[in-house]
Amino acid sequence: MSDPISVLMNLFNYQFFQNAVLGGVLVTLACAWIGLFLILRKESMIVDGLAHTAFGGIAIGLFFSINPIIPALLISAVAVLAISYLRRKGIAQSDSAIAVMLAIGFSTGLIIISLAGGFNVELFSYLFGSILTINMGDLLTVSLLSVVTIVFLSLFYKELMCISFDERSSRLTGIPVEYLSVAFNLIVALTIVLSIKIIGIILVVALVVLPALTALQLRLSFRKTMLTTVVVGVVGLIMGLIISALYDIATSGVIVFTLVFIFAVSAVYSRL
Amino acid sequence: MDEDHVLVVEGLNVTRGGAQVIRNASFVVNRNDYVGIVGPNGGGKTTLLLAILGMIPRESGTIKIFNQDIASFRQWQRLAYVPQDAVNFDPNFPITVRELISLGRVNRGNLGRPLKDDDWEAVEDSIDFMGLREISDKRMGELSGGQKQRAFIAKALVRGPEILFLDEPIVGVDADTQEKFFQKMSNLNQKRNITILMVSHDLTAVFCRMSRVLCVNRDVYSSPITPTVDPNELLRKAYGEHFHFVYHRHECRGDFKDE
Repeated sequence: MSDPISVLMNLFNYQFFQNAVLGGVLVTLACAWIGLFLILRKESMIVDGLAHTAFGGIAIGLFFSINPIIPALLISAVAVLAISYLRRKGIAQSDSAIAVMLAIGFSTGLIIISLAGGFNVELFSYLFGSILTINMGDLLTVSLLSVVTIVFLSLFYKELMCISFDERSSRLTGIPVEYLSVAFNLIVALTIVLSIKIIGIILVVALVVLPALTALQLRLSFRKTMLTTVVVGVVGLIMGLIISALYDIATSGVIVFTLVFIFAVSAVYSRL
Repeated sequence: MDEDHVLVVEGLNVTRGGAQVIRNASFVVNRNDYVGIVGPNGGGKTTLLLAILGMIPRESGTIKIFNQDIASFRQWQRLAYVPQDAVNFDPNFPITVRELISLGRVNRGNLGRPLKDDDWEAVEDSIDFMGLREISDKRMGELSGGQKQRAFIAKALVRGPEILFLDEPIVGVDADTQEKFFQKMSNLNQKRNITILMVSHDLTAVFCRMSRVLCVNRDVYSSPITPTVDPNELLRKAYGEHFHFVYHRHECRGDFKDE
C-alpha cells in the first residue's frame, strides 16, 4: 500500500469493484430519480413499507430455492397495488395502508424462516445488502431492470411532474392519470426490490430519499433538481463504495453515511 | 343543436355531502360569451364549475360541451381551468414559473414525448401576455399572491383553449392589478375569441365587462347583460330580497379602460 491515489486506481482494476460500481450506479440513478417524485407526492414511506414487504418474498424464494428477486417482485407489486386501492377507496390512508402491507409481508417472512429452521447467511445479505459480492447474473438482472425504471422516468417525467404538482387538475389535461399512477407504483416496487440486492432492506429508503432531499435543499428549478438528485446519489454511492472497500467497513452503512453527509452539507449551505 | 352553443346544461342537480347544492339548473353559453358567475359564498358557484367539468358526480341532468356529453368528453385541450385553490400548492415544490406554464402544454397527444419548439414558443408568448417575463425563472414558491395567480392563468392560456374556466382567479390584490387583469380578460375574449366563464365577487366588473351573468344560489339564473337588464333585480335572485347593489352604468366607462 503506497499513496492513496494508486490504492484507489488499484481498486478500480478489480472486477468485483467494477461490477459494484456499474450495478450500483444504475440502481442509484433509478432509486434517486424515483425518490424525487415520491417525496414530492409525500409518499416516501412507501419505500420502507415495500422493502419490508419484499422480505416476505425473499424468504419464500430462499425456502423454495428460486431466485428471491422473483417472489419479492411479485409480492411488492401486489402490495403497492393494494396500498393504492385501499387509499383510493377510502378504506385506509396512505400511511396506515403501508403499515398493514409491511406487517403482512414481514410476518410472512418470519413464519417461513421459522419453518425453515432459522436465519442463514444469504438472508442476511438481503437485509443489509451485498453490493461488493454481487455476481454477474444478479448484476445483469439488477442493471436491466434499473434501465426499465430509467427509461420509464425519461419518457413520462413531464406527466409525473404534472401529477405530482396537482393530481386533480392533471385529469383535465386528458393524460391518463390513473394508468400512469399504477405504472409509477409498479416501477417503484420494481426499483425497491432491485436495490435490496445492493443496499439491503433496512437501508433502501435512504438511497431513495436522501439524494432528492439533498437536491430539494438547494431550491432549484425542477430540471436542475432532477439532475442534482441523480448526481448526489451517484457521488454518494461511489464515495461510499471506495471508503467501504479501502477500510473494509459495511458497504451499505458507509453509503448511507456518505449520503447523509452530503445532505447535511447542502442543508447547511442553503441556509447560509 | 346550434353550432354556437359551446356549453349546454339541462336539468342539472348536484348533491354534496347529502345536501343539494345545485337545483335543476338549465342554461346555455354561446361561443365568445363572457360569463360572470356570481352569488353568495356557499351558494354553489365552485360546485357548478366542477360539475360542468365532470370533476364531481352529478345526480341528474345533462352537460354538453361542444355538443358532446361530459361523460364521454375527450377534447380536453380545448378547455382550460384555473381552480380557486391553485395558489395553495406546496411552496417547496421545485418548479419555476416557466416550468409551471409548460405543464399547460402537457396533454394526451404528447404523452411520453418531450415538449416541442412550438410548445416552448407558446410558453414564451403566455409569459409575455401575462407580464411574467421578469420573474419567469423564479420558483413558484417565491412569488407574491398576485404573481402566482397570473402564473396559473398563463398556464391555462398556454393550452390555447376555446373555453376558459376561472374560479375567483384574482383576489386579494390591489385595485390596479385587478383592473389590468380584467383588461386582459376582455382582450382575450374580444380579440382572441375565447369564451370565458369566471366566478367573481367583483359585481361591477361583471356588469360592466361581461356579456352574460349566472346568478347561483342553489338555483341558477342565467341572463344576458344588456342595457335594459336591471342588475339589482337579477342579483336579488341570488343574494336575497334585501340585497342592494350600488351600480351606475357610467362607472363602466370611468373605471375601465380597454386596451
